[in-house]
Amino acid sequence: MSEAHLTMGAHTAPPMEARPFAMPSKKFAMWLFIMADVMTFAACVAAYAFLRNAATDWPRPFHSVTSVAIMTLIMLTSSLTMLIGLTAAKAGDKAGAFRWIMITAAGGILFTLLHIREWMSMINQGVRLFSNPWGPASFGSSFYVITGFSLMHISVGTIALIIVAIRYRGGRYNADDIELMNLFWQFVGLVWLFIVPVVYLMNLAR
Amino acid sequence: MTTAERQAIRKYVAVYVCLLVITALQFLIGYRGAEGGQLVVRMLTFAIIETLLVVLFWMNLGSEKKNFIQYVVFTMLFVLATMNYIWTDSFRVLVFRLTGLGPS
Repeated sequence: MSEAHLTMGAHTAPPMEARPFAMPSKKFAMWLFIMADVMTFAACVAAYAFLRNAATDWPRPFHSVTSVAIMTLIMLTSSLTMLIGLTAAKAGDKAGAFRWIMITAAGGILFTLLHIREWMSMINQGVRLFSNPWGPASFGSSFYVITGFSLMHISVGTIALIIVAIRYRGGRYNADDIELMNLFWQFVGLVWLFIVPVVYLMNLAR
Repeated sequence: MTTAERQAIRKYVAVYVCLLVITALQFLIGYRGAEGGQLVVRMLTFAIIETLLVVLFWMNLGSEKKNFIQYVVFTMLFVLATMNYIWTDSFRVLVFRLTGLGPS
């Protein structure tokens, strides 16, 4: 045996530092991602508040928010079905967890379609990124940026839900991965609960 | 399904009902209309209550270790507070626009 081998064999692995938050690395990474995303959304909302407050003729174009109310109901319900899916996954009920997560994904698809319909309605009314028929040009850009960012999260989250559910059923993922998806899905739902009052309800036509 | 799982789902449903009621109140306030400042305060108050419910019970932050909760809460509050410092400058812009004064 060479001297190098003997030297290497003499080493012992350094002791691992204890995890300060006592949680899996993946879960901690998801929390960090969510915290970073909160900052992005908060920046968008702060910019929107700046523009809205500084404008003397900010438009109030929303006569009815029935579709927004339906979208909110879908989002809240899908958050609940996601939690039921997570509970089933933790209990080891693979079929039940898969079913509930797919129901959640169906909610995400329905929400996305209604959101696109809402956008089409605004586009048909002449709202563009840099112009609109009512007042400050920044209304269109801020509306599309905030709602578009949320739409992107929900549509990408829906795809991720389907992938995770299929891989969970196939045995590649476990309940911990479902928990990560739950964190993300609850976060996007929460963001929508902020967007509704700030973008829609404070701009209802009088 | 065990008793603990049934209890967990019951808790989730209770939070769901609370969120539905709060959201309905937000829509009601939006439709009834209020003065600008009052409307903002009411809407944000309800949104903060919703945030607490979702983060504590649906994202289960409440069941994490105390030092993690402190880390998340203090970091977020600091960032959100400093971010909101910026938009107050919009009052200056608004005054310029209303009075016609300010830089051309």
